[in-house]
Amino acid sequence: MIIKTNQDEIQNYLSDASNFSGNCRSVYLPFSELEIIEILKSCHQTKTKVTISGNGTGLNGGRVPQGGIIISLELMNKIISFDSTAKTITVQPGVILKDLQDYVESKKLFYPPDPTESNCFIGATVATNASGTRTFKYGPSRDYVEELRIVIPDGRIINISRNQFTAKNFNGKLIAEDGSEINFTIPNYKMPKTKNASGYFCAENMDMIDLFIGSEGTLGVISEIKLKLIDLPSSIFSCIVFFNEEINALNFIVEARDHSKNDSAENSSKKCDAQGLEFFDFNSLKLLAEKYSQIPAEAKAAVWFEQELSNNYDFIIDTWMSLINRYNGQTDKSWFAVNKNDQDKFKEFRHKIATTVNEIVTKRGLKKVGTDVAVPDKFFVEFYYLCKNKVENHNLDYAAYGHFGNSHIHLNILPKNLYEYELSQKIYSEICFEAVERNGTISAEHGIGKLKRNYLLTMYGESSIKQMAALKLVFDQNKILGIGNIFEEKYLNY
Amino acid sequence: MKIAVCVNHVPDTAAKINISSDGKSIDNTGVTYVVNPYDEFAIEEALKTKEKFGGDTIAISLGNESNKETLRKALAMGIDNAVLLKTEEYYDSLSVAKALAAEIKAQNSGLVFFGKQSVDFDNSIVGQLTAELLNYNCVSVVVEFELKENKIIADREIEGGKEVVETLLPAVITTQKGLNDPRYASLKGIMAAKKKVIEEKTLAKPNNFTEVIGMKKPAPKQPGKIIGTDSSAVPELVRLLREEAKVI
Ligand SMILES: Cc1cc2nc3c(=O)[nH]c(=O)nc-3n(C[C@H](O)[C@H](O)[C@H](O)COP(=O)(O)OP(=O)(O)OC[C@H]3O[C@@H](n4cnc5c(N)ncnc54)[C@H](O)[C@@H]3O)c2cc1C
Ligand SMILES: Cc1cc2nc3c(=O)[nH]c(=O)nc-3n(C[C@H](O)[C@H](O)[C@H](O)COP(=O)(O)OP(=O)(O)OC[C@H]3O[C@@H](n4cnc5c(N)ncnc54)[C@H](O)[C@@H]3O)c2cc1C
Repeated sequence: MIIKTNQDEIQNYLSDASNFSGNCRSVYLPFSELEIIEILKSCHQTKTKVTISGNGTGLNGGRVPQGGIIISLELMNKIISFDSTAKTITVQPGVILKDLQDYVESKKLFYPPDPTESNCFIGATVATNASGTRTFKYGPSRDYVEELRIVIPDGRIINISRNQFTAKNFNGKLIAEDGSEINFTIPNYKMPKTKNASGYFCAENMDMIDLFIGSEGTLGVISEIKLKLIDLPSSIFSCIVFFNEEINALNFIVEARDHSKNDSAENSSKKCDAQGLEFFDFNSLKLLAEKYSQIPAEAKAAVWFEQELSNNYDFIIDTWMSLINRYNGQTDKSWFAVNKNDQDKFKEFRHKIATTVNEIVTKRGLKKVGTDVAVPDKFFVEFYYLCKNKVENHNLDYAAYGHFGNSHIHLNILPKNLYEYELSQKIYSEICFEAVERNGTISAEHGIGKLKRNYLLTMYGESSIKQMAALKLVFDQNKILGIGNIFEEKYLNY
Repeated sequence: MKIAVCVNHVPDTAAKINISSDGKSIDNTGVTYVVNPYDEFAIEEALKTKEKFGGDTIAISLGNESNKETLRKALAMGIDNAVLLKTEEYYDSLSVAKALAAEIKAQNSGLVFFGKQSVDFDNSIVGQLTAELLNYNCVSVVVEFELKENKIIADREIEGGKEVVETLLPAVITTQKGLNDPRYASLKGIMAAKKKVIEEKTLAKPNNFTEVIGMKKPAPKQPGKIIGTDSSAVPELVRLLREEAKVI
């Protein structure tokens, strides 16, 4: 392994894409699972805090250390095995998502999870249950995890495949590789039915592998991952439609969403079957217009959608065309990708809005305040306007975009000064509260980390947080791993 | 006015190119082809000119069946008609220019847009040759284009600045990055393009004056050197940049 102790070299590990930062003594870069065991065992003995680091693109401070040491998985970046018949791939945690996707696509297979930032590590996408545009059709990372190897803080290994260990009601049981048993109680809070990345995955009779997916580096170090792949779609229909009225764009999404869900359930020669339905509001388009002069000047909102094509090309295009016409989308000024190159440009367009927002607030020396809320579909349009009005009433700069097909909103407030920053946080917390009121989630994909713990408390209440802490203590008696992620340290001391 | 655009079908610049076993051509396995990026500026300028002054636009491409993909993209962006000058033979730049000139003449087009260069073989010559063969005026590497009746005022990119050139129609313009932001195909354009027929004209054998006799790959890059990972390595880095690489 490589150990970095020089503070110059450590700087890069002390923050993530949220601009939140911390400190630590040293960074350990293991080459193998054996080395992870060695590091954890020694930290377990000396009660040294350990924070696990992926590639630092997280948005919640999850990988940011508060003292102690860091284990960074960047050197464990090998593809271990690939099985084209079973359609699976087994990798080390430090493989970069984009590299994995390019690799399997060269073998005519497909790994659907696609967080907008594809520079992240696979291990971290599992640890945060990352999702993205295509989650609308294909679900989050969780749905593709077949098997995990996890090193828990005392150095034991849990090797778990899907369907291997299921809970009995709320009683969980695992058997570590050394034969020892781990028994625990699963918290009994009710998770929202929306897309969700808030707190541990907990449910009656759950598959125990799901506990580790989305556990944000608090239960163990994921050291190996086996993922399920699907066939690569032969071609993709990708389109950005501009609307002259925002409400038309929202209603277009609602109808396309319902068609996609129902048409595909009804028959296999689906009509509307979007992979993703992404929204951009007027402010987002204004920010993007600096880089994309092609955006029609009169556009007030845009929707990006993608759908797989087989031989029913004409039929599908006609269906979308009439849907776009029904909501007065601009068919003559909408953008249509005719090849992979253009499809990638649309992806870049979506990525650009996220990075542009980050750049603006970073330049102002502030942190962005961006929601990650999702609500049940039936509340969606009403909820969107509620969020928007809250921000507009205070005259704050903002840009709203996101995975609207999943009723999942990234409303980003761009404060200009400290006063506005504090105001933004207040509004943010009100929006979280409103989402919870509607049985929604405060974080649909970015996770809780160290920055959203208070909102998780709002969402589940203190007794549920205590149950989570009790569960964590079963795996981490000496309270060393990922301390401060998901809930405050004090809950480990009750 | 009839506005023509000449468009080439070239390997995607992101494609990994290998040389085929004959040692003088490209191995096409796994290589995807795209519209020559500079030709997208040419298409956009033709469309803009038509939107301003009216007229008819036509895209012309020389190559084999697969070039139709590029022509279809031009149609989807809004070009009215397309012609494929079909051949399976190797055409050198002059042969390409001769065939294009003949077609432009047949189409009676007095304003022709080219990309400034094909990213495949980088000859940067087809537009100028075609102009000469047609006896048209020619302005190359254009980053700003203005048409007033039959007068053209164009800015050309030159080292460290711009040159403003005036000329008259009929003319050939070769386009450079910066001239415009090419539009994406619209949904309406896609629907319309599907109904359009690409006209095909089969070409006779070319009379080439140059022949490609070999292709070579660049020498593999030397592996990089890591001289340290913290600030203590900076003095050594500066020394190497100055004394070995001689770049500072
Ligand atoms: C512009 C932008 C857009 C984004 N869009 C999306 C999006 O659409 N959807 C989405 O879900 N996310 C998105 N994100 C957030 C981020 O990319 C994801 O959360 C990603 O999964 C983080 O990966 P990383 O390698 O950077 O992890 P890091 O930030 O380094 O770590 C994330 C968390 O995972 C833990 N962790 C890392 N590796 C392991 C391991 N091997 N074992 C156990 N725990 C581990 C860390 O402790 C930390 O808590 C976006 C980020 C940016 C900057
Ligand atoms: C792998 C490969 C295989 C090829 N196989 C064939 C083949 O079998 N038969 C064949 O005829 N060509 C083929 N070509 C293309 C042909 O070689 C080039 O079109 C020709 O060499 C012109 O390139 P250039 O560098 O001289 O063009 P440049 O002078 O750099 O091009 C300048 C401009 O001229 C115009 N132009 C250039 N070529 C064309 C064209 N073909 N049609 C319309 N406008 C054009 C474009 O506007 C372009 O931007 C192939 C190219 C590649 C990469």
